[in-house]
Amino acid sequence: MNQRFENDEEMLTRGLQALASEMKDVEAPEHVEVNLLKAFRARQVVVPISTRRRTSRGYWLAAVAAVLLIAMSVVALRWKSTEKPAEALAGREPQKGRVISPRDETPKPVEYQAVVQPAQRSIPKRVRHPRVRSSESAQLASPSEIATDFIPLRYMNVASLQEGGQIVRVEVPRSALANFGLPVNMERSNERVKADVLYGVDGLAHAIRFVK
Amino acid sequence: MKSDLNDSELLRSMLAGDEEALSVLYRRRQGAVYRFALQMSGSKTVAEDVTQEVFLFLMRDGRVFDPAKGSVSAFLLGVARNYVLRRLRVEQQLAPLGDDFDDDVPVLHASTDICPLEDLTRAETIESVRRAVLSLPSKYREVVVLCELQDISYGETAEILGCAIGTVRSRLHRARALLLAKLRPAAEAEDADSATVKSARCFA
Repeated sequence: MNQRFENDEEMLTRGLQALASEMKDVEAPEHVEVNLLKAFRARQVVVPISTRRRTSRGYWLAAVAAVLLIAMSVVALRWKSTEKPAEALAGREPQKGRVISPRDETPKPVEYQAVVQPAQRSIPKRVRHPRVRSSESAQLASPSEIATDFIPLRYMNVASLQEGGQIVRVEVPRSALANFGLPVNMERSNERVKADVLYGVDGLAHAIRFVK
Repeated sequence: MKSDLNDSELLRSMLAGDEEALSVLYRRRQGAVYRFALQMSGSKTVAEDVTQEVFLFLMRDGRVFDPAKGSVSAFLLGVARNYVLRRLRVEQQLAPLGDDFDDDVPVLHASTDICPLEDLTRAETIESVRRAVLSLPSKYREVVVLCELQDISYGETAEILGCAIGTVRSRLHRARALLLAKLRPAAEAEDADSATVKSARCFA
């Protein structure tokens, strides 16, 4: 058994040696060398070593240039943003034909227009709260008039009022005061009383105040 | 003379743009690379491609060679091994032993000392050994090719494969056992055939 194993090992070694000796002179075909030398020459022409160094330097120059460009852009943007308010103060006319995107568009001021009231006054641009304070009411109404606070007529979305609105002077029966919890002189219940109705941009009446 | 320079010096010159250095280095080392690829793949086409790829890699990334880690020869064979394994993985076929390889079978040199029958037996033996080597799993095949067919030392084989010498020894031992197992049935069949002929002659 052991003898057979040794014979097998010897046979294998001889076989491997025979195979090795058969292939010891085998070499790559000549065209492989020709192709390699061509590739080597092409490589030397395309990427010489000195150029590689320059490329490395060029990389750093490009990086510095990019940093400078970014810094200049930031400075320019800041300068432009500080310049805008000055231009606004100077009353620069907007360019005609310029398309204004919703973001660029400044919110429209809320215009309050007293229809019946003869003397129009300057009106605050925004209503942040539907309830106008007494002092403000006094300003909206003519100096000779006294007005109550705005009384909400329904649930109101404050945001809808901030987009704009309109005040309309109307006359309502005095008995309508009772609907808002105000005292009513029953003897004069048939008379009419002035009131300002606040309409939102949605066209709905949001609040009312009574004017005397 | 460039041919007097050692491999590392030639590589340095080549990387500096010396074409002659590449030529000398190629002629010195291409045989081992080509044979290794051929014995690993069994394909002449693959062996040519791998040889070309190895030296292109040397031109492109030769700076990664570290003399402290081993010789240029071991470095080249290590690169060749990676290319061969990658190629074999891609093609998903291990040594088809088709017409491609048959073209590469070296012509057996006629010897006046050996009779034609012995010559034929020798050729058959070589062919069966070649088939057995090609049928081994790649991790066993590469140690057989390097240690037995290329006659490279265990230490250098370990450098090429990136493993310990002990691993090389154990893999070689296992590879030889596998080869014997593959070659034994053929030998037994030959013995059986010869026994049949003998008995037939006796019977006649």
